[in-house]
Amino acid sequence: MAGIELKNIQKKYSVENRVINVLNGINLQIPRESITVILGRSGCGKTTLLRIVGGLEDADAGEMECDVEHKTTFVFQESRLMPWLNVWDNVKFGLKKQECDKMVIQSIIDTVGLHGFEKAYPNQLSGGMQQRTAIARALAYNPSFIMMDEPFAALDYFTREQMQKELIRLQRDRGVSILFVTHSIDEALLLGHKIVVIEGGQIKAEFMLKADNKERNLLEPEFIELKKNIIERLDL
Amino acid sequence: MKRTISRISPFIGILIVFGTWFVVSRIEIFSPYVLPTPEKVLSSFSKMLQSGEIFVDIAISFGRVLKGFLIAFVLAFALGTFRILVPAAEKYYEYILQFFRNVPPLSMIPLLILWCGIGEVTKTVIIVLASFFPMYLNIVKGFTGCDKCLLEVGDAFGYTQFEKFTHIVLPYALADILVGMRIGMGYSWRAIIGAEMVAASTGLGHMILLAQQMSRTDKVIVGIFVIGIVGLVTDKLFGIVIKKLFKGTGENGWN
Ligand SMILES: Nc1ncnc2c1ncn2[C@@H]1O[C@H](COP(=O)(O)OP(=O)(O)OP(=O)(O)O)[C@@H](O)[C@H]1O
Ligand SMILES: [Mg+2]
Repeated sequence: MAGIELKNIQKKYSVENRVINVLNGINLQIPRESITVILGRSGCGKTTLLRIVGGLEDADAGEMECDVEHKTTFVFQESRLMPWLNVWDNVKFGLKKQECDKMVIQSIIDTVGLHGFEKAYPNQLSGGMQQRTAIARALAYNPSFIMMDEPFAALDYFTREQMQKELIRLQRDRGVSILFVTHSIDEALLLGHKIVVIEGGQIKAEFMLKADNKERNLLEPEFIELKKNIIERLDL
Repeated sequence: MKRTISRISPFIGILIVFGTWFVVSRIEIFSPYVLPTPEKVLSSFSKMLQSGEIFVDIAISFGRVLKGFLIAFVLAFALGTFRILVPAAEKYYEYILQFFRNVPPLSMIPLLILWCGIGEVTKTVIIVLASFFPMYLNIVKGFTGCDKCLLEVGDAFGYTQFEKFTHIVLPYALADILVGMRIGMGYSWRAIIGAEMVAASTGLGHMILLAQQMSRTDKVIVGIFVIGIVGLVTDKLFGIVIKKLFKGTGENGWN
C-alpha cells in the first residue's frame, strides 16, 4: 500500500496584495498501483496540489516522501501540445530516439481514437482531440506514476466513458499509480480506488472503495449512498 | 474578376508612377539633368546590362552583404543563446548593446577606415553592425517569449535544460528568428550601399557615387532601381525558403 506520502503540505499565493491560502496542511497517502481521485470545487487547489506532487511547484511547508523512484508524468488541465509538431510527433514527445517503437505509438494513438489524424497539427484538432493527444503523449512515455488534471473534461459522454474504461484497463495491465483530479463525482466513483475530497485547502474526507473498478454500477445502493455522502462533504 | 484585379493591382501602382514620371519629364518642368526621361534611364540600363558592368557591381555588393549577414547571424544566435542559458550575464553587457544599437553604423565609418583601412574588413564590419541588432533582438525575444506552459511539459517528461532548449525553446522561437533574419537582410542592404559610397571602389554604392560625380543622373536612377529590385528579390527568395523549410508547420498557422 505504500506509495507517496504527503505531510502537512502548505501553499499560499499572493494575488494583488491579498494572500490566498490555497493549501492548509494537506496530509495524504497516495497508494501505489491504484487510482487516487482528488475531488473538489473549482479553485479549491486541486491543480496546485497536483503540481506540488509532480514537482512543478514547491510547497511553502511540508514534506513529501516516496518509497520508490517513480517515472512520473503529467496530463495537464490544458492539452499543452507543441503547435509545431503533428499528432504523431507530439505523442512521441517524451520518448528518446531509441525508445520509439512505431507499433506501440500507433496502438496508443488508436487507443485514444485518433487513428487517421497522425499527420494533423494541434490547431487542426478539436479541443477534445487535443486533450486525447496529450493523454496519448503521457501514455507513450510509459510512466509508473501519472498525474492527470481533469483529463476528460473536454470530452463528450461516450468518448469520456470509453477513455475511462481504457484508463482502468491500462492501470491494471501496467500497474501504474494514478493521481487523478476531477470535479465530477460520478467520474470519481467510477475510477477511484481512493477518493479524496478537498475543501478549504484541507482534506475534508477520504473514502476507500473496495469494489472492482472494472464493473461498477453507479446505480447500486452502495454508490448512491457514497455519492450522497460526498455531496454532503462538499457542501460544508 | 476579383482575382484578376488583385493580381494586376500591384502593377497599376507601378504604372502610375512611371506614367507620371513620363509626363513630367516630357513637359520639361525640370531640366533633364535633374530628372532624366524614362527612356534615357532605360537605355543606360540596357547598355549597362549589355556590358555586364552592372552584374559585377551587384555580385560584389551581394557577396559583401552575404558575408556580413552570416557573421552577424552567427554572432546574434550565439549571444542570444548565451543570454538564455546565463540570464544573469545580461546585466553586464546590456548597456553596451543598447549603446551600439543606437549608433548608426555609417557614423562609424571614419573610425573604421582609420582602424581597418578601406578594404573589405570595414564593409563587413558595417554590415555586421547593421544587421546584428534586429537579429539579436528578435532571437532574444523569441527565446524569452517561450510559453512557460510548454516548458513545463519538458519538465513533465524529464527533459534536461539542454533538451528543453533544443526541443521547445528553439522551435518556439523559430518564427521570431526568421523575422529577425529577414529584417537583418534588409538592413544589410541599406548599410552596404552607404558604406560603398564612402569607402569602396567597387559595388553598387560606388557605382552610384561615380555616376553622380560624372553628372550621370540616369545612371544614379538605374542604380537605385537595381538596389530596390535586388532587395525585393532577396526578400522574396527569403520568404520562399522559409515557406519551403517549414512547409508542414507554416501551412498550419504556425508562422
Ligand atoms: N500561479 C498562481 N498565482 C497566484 N494564484 C494562483 C496561482 N495558481 C493558482 N492560484 C490560486 O490558487 C487557487 C487554486 O487554484 P487551482 O488551480 O489549484 O484550482 P483548481 O482546484 O485546480 O480549480 P479548477 O477545478 O478550476 O481547475 C485559486 O484561487 C487560484 O487563484
Ligand atoms: Mg485545476
